[in-house]
Amino acid sequence: MKYLRNYIKTTLIVLTVISTTAVYVAERSAPKLGYRLSPIAKPFKATDFSLYDMDEDEINFTDFKGKVVLLNFWASWCPPCRREMPSMEHLHQNFKGQNFAVIAINQMEEEDDIFAYTGELEVEPTFTILFDKDSSVSDQYPVVGLPTTFLIDKKGVVRYRAVGGREFDHPEVMKLIQKLIDE
Amino acid sequence: MQTKIIKPAIVTILTLVFSTTYFAETTIHKNEQTGLLTWSAEQDGFKIELIQLIPDFVSAVYSKHKFPQKELDRINTYCLFGTIVESKSDKNLYYQVSDWHYTDMKGVSLPVKNKKQWITEWRAQGIKFNWTLLPATSEFAPGDWQQGFTTIKISRDKIFDFTYSWSIEGKTYTNTIKDMSCAPETLELDGKK
Repeated sequence: MKYLRNYIKTTLIVLTVISTTAVYVAERSAPKLGYRLSPIAKPFKATDFSLYDMDEDEINFTDFKGKVVLLNFWASWCPPCRREMPSMEHLHQNFKGQNFAVIAINQMEEEDDIFAYTGELEVEPTFTILFDKDSSVSDQYPVVGLPTTFLIDKKGVVRYRAVGGREFDHPEVMKLIQKLIDE
Repeated sequence: MQTKIIKPAIVTILTLVFSTTYFAETTIHKNEQTGLLTWSAEQDGFKIELIQLIPDFVSAVYSKHKFPQKELDRINTYCLFGTIVESKSDKNLYYQVSDWHYTDMKGVSLPVKNKKQWITEWRAQGIKFNWTLLPATSEFAPGDWQQGFTTIKISRDKIFDFTYSWSIEGKTYTNTIKDMSCAPETLELDGKK
């Protein structure tokens, strides 16, 4: 009984320490999200890939041929990835019915964890979430840190990049996407 | 006589004008709840923030990604800092962690171990996870930023200076944050360890 009490006490202390530190890190890790997407000096052809979504359906990048694509690489443990997600959903809703798609490629996490995570969000994502279990797709793009986002034009050329979190529903980003849709 | 004075003076002035190595103002923030410290410095288009991380937090992060206990213990022989690097420049910026170093109070300087080196060690152990650490190199466009862990191999009770550098349009800038320290082994919550 004494052992159990000590075990519970220790577990509670450890959990308090971890959650306090996590909140602290998240707090400190919060530069204001900007909206600037930088043009890529040498635009390149987007690499094709084939990954599974939350329903374990295989999705090919070629399915999005002819659309402007916001391609986001993320993970649920990455604070800026979490912060920018609602703005991606707003973008997805705003351009519904147009030649535009948001694809968020999760790095090395399990479907069940992400299902639980998205269920907790105030704005639940309805855009495409894919699972890059071994980071092989992120390796093919120049992704060195999370989040990294690319804006790909209708011809499948990677034109813009953002490293770090962004407010993707900012009017300037919307204008840029509309411009690419109208090209 | 004149040359003797003017020459060193010119050299000194030129050094002062062109030298980009100086101590930018460092802000130290102490979290009231945890006592953990954060150092931040901004200079010449580059901002860095280094946040003390306690070993329990680090273990929690990596055990979630199924790291073996032996590796969790080994990682915690390093001091880890949550690190946020941010471009404040209107031009492209580049950094390379292998150019960064830390210096202990005896004046011994060692390079900061970078992500590439960690990944090589993890791969040798069959660990496939390759995120959370600050990228070994990054090229930032204006507005870009990134976060990840920086690892310093030093005893938890030692003080050290941390020197980092970055480049903008081929010009390299350096700064040193003085008197940094690792997070304690455990947090003092409510005055108790």
